[in-house]
Amino acid sequence: MRSAAPRLFALPSPDALIGIGLALVLTAVPLATPSAYVLSFLFMVFMYGALAGSWNIVGGYAGYLSFGHAAFFGLGAYTTALLLFYFGWSPFLTLPLAGVVAALFGALVGYPCLRLRGPYFSLVTLILGLAMYSLALNLPFTRGSTGLFLPFLKVDVYTSHVIFYEIMLALLIVVTAVLRQITRTKMGVGLAAIREDEDAAGTLGVNATRLKLQAFMLSAFLTGLVGGVYSYYKSHLDPSFVFATSISITIVLMALFGGRLTWYGPLVGAIVLSIINEALTTQAPPQTARIVFGALLIGVIMFLPDGLMSIMQRHLPAFIMRRAQHSAARDETA
Amino acid sequence: MFYELAQSLTSGLLIGSALAVLSVGFSMAWGITHVLNVAHCAFAVLAAYLGYWSLARWGIDPLLVLPVLLPLFFMFGVAMHTLLIRATARRAHDLGLATMVLTFGLGVVMENGMQLAWAPDPRVLKTAYSSLTFSAGPLIVQAPHLVAFGLATVTISALYLFAERTFMGKAVRAVWQQPMGAALSGINLSRVTTIAYGLAVATSAVGGVAMSLLYTFDPATHLSWLVYVFLVVILGGVGSILGSALAGLIIGLIIGVSSVFVPLAWNNLVLFGLLIVLLLLRPQGLLQQ
Repeated sequence: MRSAAPRLFALPSPDALIGIGLALVLTAVPLATPSAYVLSFLFMVFMYGALAGSWNIVGGYAGYLSFGHAAFFGLGAYTTALLLFYFGWSPFLTLPLAGVVAALFGALVGYPCLRLRGPYFSLVTLILGLAMYSLALNLPFTRGSTGLFLPFLKVDVYTSHVIFYEIMLALLIVVTAVLRQITRTKMGVGLAAIREDEDAAGTLGVNATRLKLQAFMLSAFLTGLVGGVYSYYKSHLDPSFVFATSISITIVLMALFGGRLTWYGPLVGAIVLSIINEALTTQAPPQTARIVFGALLIGVIMFLPDGLMSIMQRHLPAFIMRRAQHSAARDETA
Repeated sequence: MFYELAQSLTSGLLIGSALAVLSVGFSMAWGITHVLNVAHCAFAVLAAYLGYWSLARWGIDPLLVLPVLLPLFFMFGVAMHTLLIRATARRAHDLGLATMVLTFGLGVVMENGMQLAWAPDPRVLKTAYSSLTFSAGPLIVQAPHLVAFGLATVTISALYLFAERTFMGKAVRAVWQQPMGAALSGINLSRVTTIAYGLAVATSAVGGVAMSLLYTFDPATHLSWLVYVFLVVILGGVGSILGSALAGLIIGLIIGVSSVFVPLAWNNLVLFGLLIVLLLLRPQGLLQQ
């Protein structure tokens, strides 16, 4: 859909405007002094949104379903936590390092692992997540299953909630912007081509090996950043949580549930499932929530392989969806 | 040192047989029906629990419950294939990947369902022969290990004979080798696939009971069992019955050796490392041509 004459001042597309508006409103939320509970709930929503979005770069766009993204999350968490614990360096300063460590690790494991396709890739990433957990339990400086206890921020509890809220929101906005931008670049088209038919993409001049590795590293980088903030927020680094298979699975489920072919799908998935999770865990034992999550995973893969967004696209006003749909990388390869 | 090694190799071999029978169904399901059933070990843990409860509640040995568990788990498999997997297969782009996500969901449901029903505490199976030991020269063999070995040998031989000697078995192999050709020769593809899948799930019951004789278990154990299963299946080659048997024994031996030379806590890491290297170097299996 290229217009005949190049426009000098292109208006942002409706989906971008909605996104920017939403981001502004969310940034202003703490001004209304909501309760700490609301802030911490929104923090978790943003965190899962950012995680699902980061995962989607490689899991959704490239179609390489990683079942071990907790490895990068935990690695980021340990990077900032260890630096704070041993050297007293603030995670807010060392945060980029968390992303870099995760990205380097992503390069190290991604280079060999990304040669595997389909379920083999998913299997090896699943094992990788389990291996990282074992490693964290056994290394001499990670303090085993006790984990690390970190100092609180030197402000009152409510202010620290607000600070972490804003930081996680910023991360979510960055991830979402990256995710959206990818669909409009050659990278997005290349990844979609890899997803649809990797061999054919290769013959068309897509450097699949390089592109996959870039996507994997970018995804690991962003996941590491989120992990780097999380351990400071919790002020306790628990290896059984940051490296949990359930984190990896939750991320996959959120992205699949929302729809992994679009940039907003994982975000929608994260919001809807976080609300369901919160409603269930306050009413019933945590197992019930996980049973519902497992059942949802079954339902999604059976009936909605393209996620919730594939239904919404049929029912939302056309002017919002048209541009968004156009930017969905899938259509560009069709 | 030498004695210690010989002892761990012996028990490693017997443990390996249990791993083999735990894995053979997973391998069959993946090879023949292209379903990557990551809930396989959740079924095994379910069988372990059912055996445990029959012993704890009514004093019936888990081995005597197996004749009931086998048809029950066969039906589970058939139901799972007809209700869940066929619907997924109709929409899936990559059946292995789609069923992996599907069965992951099922595994989560089963694990947490068992936690709700039976608490997450680890269980130890205490049978009449649990503390019995035999000595062969200087080596000591525990009775539960021998029972697990017997269970594995009988089950895997039976499966092998089924695949080689019976018409249905030959049909299953035909579907594995050449689905199109098999269909053209009048084999009912969907029926054969469903039966093969049912059998695969049925063997998980034997695997679960055999493992429960050797290890403590709880609902979350299925993920660590799954790592063993991946190792065995990747080493033995997807879909191969004898490959699984041989690979199970090899993995058992490796576990035995590493228990001597590597501190206990690092054992899992050795296995993870081995699996990752194996997957990267030869994803089609070491024992496959």
